[in-house]
Amino acid sequence: MDTLRYTLRKLLYSVPLILGVTLLSFTLMVYFGPDMAYEKLGKNATEEDIEREREKLGYNKPFVVRYGNFLTSVLTFDFGESFSTNQRVMDMFAETIPVSIMVALPGFILGNLISIIFGLWAAYHRGQRLDKTIMAGAVVGMSISFLIVVIVFQLLLCSDYGLNMFPTTGWEVGMNLEEFNILDYFEYVTVPAICTIFVSVGYNTRFYRAVFVEELTRDHVRTAKAFGCGPVRLLFKHVLKNSLIPILTRIILSLPFVIIGGSIIIESYFGIPGVGSVVYDAIVNGDQPITKAAVVCTAILYVFFLTLTDILYQVVDPRISLK
Amino acid sequence: MRLITFVGIVLSIFLTVSCGERKTAKGKVYWHSEDGAPTKLDPIESATTYANRITTAVYDTLYEYKYLKRHPYELKPNLAANMPEISEDGLVYTIKIKEGVKFIDDACFKTKENPKGKGREVVAADFVYSLKRHFDPKNSSQGSWLWRGRIVGLDDWGKAAREAGTTDYAAKIKGLQATDKYTIQITLTEPYPQILYTFAMGFASVVPQEAVEKYGKQLTTNPVGSGPFMLKSFNKTKAVLVKNPTYRKEVFDIHYEGYDEEKHGFTGIKALHGKTLPIVDTVIISFMKQDVARWNSLNKGNEIQFGTIPKDQIDNALMSKKPPKVIEKLAKKFHFDYERESGFVFSVFNMTDPAFGYSDDPKRNEMNKALRKAIRKAFDWQGRIDVFYAGIGEPFVGIIPPGISGYSEFPKDSITRDVEGAKKLLKDAGWTAENLPVFEYPNAASTTATQFFEQVRGWLEEIGYPRKKIKQKEFATFGDLNKSMKERKNIINSYGWGLDYPDAENVMQLFYGPNASPGSNASNFDHPEYNELFEKAKPMPDSEERTKLYKRMTEILLEECVGMFGFSRTRLKLWNKNTIMYPTREILSNVFKYVDVIKKDKKKKKNTKADGNGNAGDANNSGDAGQKNTENKE
Repeated sequence: MDTLRYTLRKLLYSVPLILGVTLLSFTLMVYFGPDMAYEKLGKNATEEDIEREREKLGYNKPFVVRYGNFLTSVLTFDFGESFSTNQRVMDMFAETIPVSIMVALPGFILGNLISIIFGLWAAYHRGQRLDKTIMAGAVVGMSISFLIVVIVFQLLLCSDYGLNMFPTTGWEVGMNLEEFNILDYFEYVTVPAICTIFVSVGYNTRFYRAVFVEELTRDHVRTAKAFGCGPVRLLFKHVLKNSLIPILTRIILSLPFVIIGGSIIIESYFGIPGVGSVVYDAIVNGDQPITKAAVVCTAILYVFFLTLTDILYQVVDPRISLK
Repeated sequence: MRLITFVGIVLSIFLTVSCGERKTAKGKVYWHSEDGAPTKLDPIESATTYANRITTAVYDTLYEYKYLKRHPYELKPNLAANMPEISEDGLVYTIKIKEGVKFIDDACFKTKENPKGKGREVVAADFVYSLKRHFDPKNSSQGSWLWRGRIVGLDDWGKAAREAGTTDYAAKIKGLQATDKYTIQITLTEPYPQILYTFAMGFASVVPQEAVEKYGKQLTTNPVGSGPFMLKSFNKTKAVLVKNPTYRKEVFDIHYEGYDEEKHGFTGIKALHGKTLPIVDTVIISFMKQDVARWNSLNKGNEIQFGTIPKDQIDNALMSKKPPKVIEKLAKKFHFDYERESGFVFSVFNMTDPAFGYSDDPKRNEMNKALRKAIRKAFDWQGRIDVFYAGIGEPFVGIIPPGISGYSEFPKDSITRDVEGAKKLLKDAGWTAENLPVFEYPNAASTTATQFFEQVRGWLEEIGYPRKKIKQKEFATFGDLNKSMKERKNIINSYGWGLDYPDAENVMQLFYGPNASPGSNASNFDHPEYNELFEKAKPMPDSEERTKLYKRMTEILLEECVGMFGFSRTRLKLWNKNTIMYPTREILSNVFKYVDVIKKDKKKKKNTKADGNGNAGDANNSGDAGQKNTENKE
């Protein structure tokens, strides 16, 4: 009951947050975003045409009216049609978000798992050669640009110049249960996942190592060691379990990006029809319906995942009270 | 050991899966690639090459270009039964369309009598309706300018709809009528010889009213046409077209299409003579903006079958640049061809800018002209081509590219770098480091754009322009840059112009005063003599007389120094040897129907002898055969 009450209260508090986010982003869109009227009419429009187009796009309406319309679309969750493609925004999201999740999730999960293991390992051997090797590897991973990583792995694994094992482009993965084929999925997701893992492991390992090192200096760990607890049990039961709060925070708060953000680089180099390129193009072209929907969805997801994180805190550490 | 075995099994599964044929498509599949993506496929908005190619594959246009006849291009009937009857005064066009052509089956045709939504016959009224859509104020047409002020009553129909707030598609238009089921009659306000070219563009595709009414704006992803293909799927990365089962009988006559053994023999296209179009069952079009990914995919051999050579690979891929010839390794794998674009890149000054363009003060006006000329003399075309276009191609003098009707030769001084001459011009006109105006070079933020700016800055510094007065005006997006150009806020605009149709009128209108920004005249050049000559030449078909007028108009542009022009880039194209076609991205659009793919045939593989008929088998066996006979090129 407490949890439910807490959740409702948290959601209520999030209303001003969402309003603030929408107001700020809308102001930026209106005053600094590209003007689509010229692009929509091509190369030989008349001034009259442009004026009419601006009217159609709603640019000539007062700011308050436009913001009011935006809030209405937030309430109804209907963001209309994309200025660039004429497709319904929510249909575009419904098609592309699942693809982005399917592409990002394996790399995200494996990247975090590998990082946690590396972090534990490095922390346990703090200051030793193993620790230094893992940290050096992490720095290398962090230092190489994602773009280079993508190009190199594509060249190594997907091209005639390398092993030529995986497709360079495409996403021929059935997006419903009847058509879904796990082998197809592995075929298309493996290289993007490897790229994501390569880049994320560096950052994550350093973060997790720092958390584990701090945990390893605590009294209960020393006591466990004194009782003769083995390293595996010590690390997983006493260190990892007690470090879950920062780990959960990091993982869960990254999820909105996994869902809405997609990865523009991965999608454009591997020809994957995800939401990343949709949102990127919308921002660049000033496609306000899509940008608005992306902002609102991200804000809502953030609120949802923040609330979920708070609830999970209580699960992993019952001493925490949701008040 | 177990781990190694497991990894081995997983890898072998991937190898089996990855190297297989595309799984989703049946029959012959051609996999095409583009370096950009279309956003909309509604014909009234299909302004890009990418959109146009798909639009014309799924919809019919009245006319189209002969597939193999290029430079000069030649129109042929498509949906039209034959070439139009044109009245003696050149004002009335009567066009018969083919009988029995059907739209694809679609839910938009469902009625009580037609519960399965069988596609109905295409009639003349469909064309009339499709053209009216461009003038419907509810729509955002990108092609209406092609017919604006040209067809009697069409503009007024649009105006009436704007004023009434509703559109009456049933209202008759005097100049645009379906006189019977299969006859279209168009009456022009003045002769417009280029109108037939406009009827070969995707903008003029024939759309059924039922589809527009059913799908509205979603027509973009639900095209209902009568073209050789149907759109199966479309997203930001890929479009899939499948053969239209109800497409009319059309046979590929290579001789009618302009076959020339010397030019086209290497492609093996002769083997397609007499084949029913379209030949392949499925066309997959991958929109791959990343050069590296496109190049990797092309080289794999089992993915995209057509691609261009990326800029950073040109030095590795070509054994010579003049003329372009690929290295043997690539010649064994691919057919290679190159083609000069039907368009050009150029820079024009904003003539309404008082610092560089026109001035009310005659003295300043002369000073500004000298300044523009000095900047033109500083411009190093060869340097630009070497750095940004891989050193392939030559600049041309004037504004009409070679190979386009109306082209004339001029002395080369306007494209010849002359630093000393530029300095003298500035000095004679009274320009000093102190009084030179700030030169703001606008571009959309990118590394290449900055490199463009830095090159220009280097040139200007050489003629004595102070470094602090040469600034980059950077815009976050191309849209912002475009807006600034349309609002006449830039002092110079550098961009590319792709010809809408192969006629110099499409180029000359770029400097016609009434077309000033936000129209296509980005220089806002407004010269009484030029305007008068343009109006005089406008109703003329391509002729010696018109070429003379265009020559004089070009001389005016050169004398007034409106900008630095021009250069037509060279497209380097590679396509897999299992693919028979003669690809292009210039002017032509409905080209997928002519493509064939040789499916792997195990029995045939054993027989290595070519059949001697000049078919694709010949081309496959020889590295040299994969290259075009370059002596006949350009």
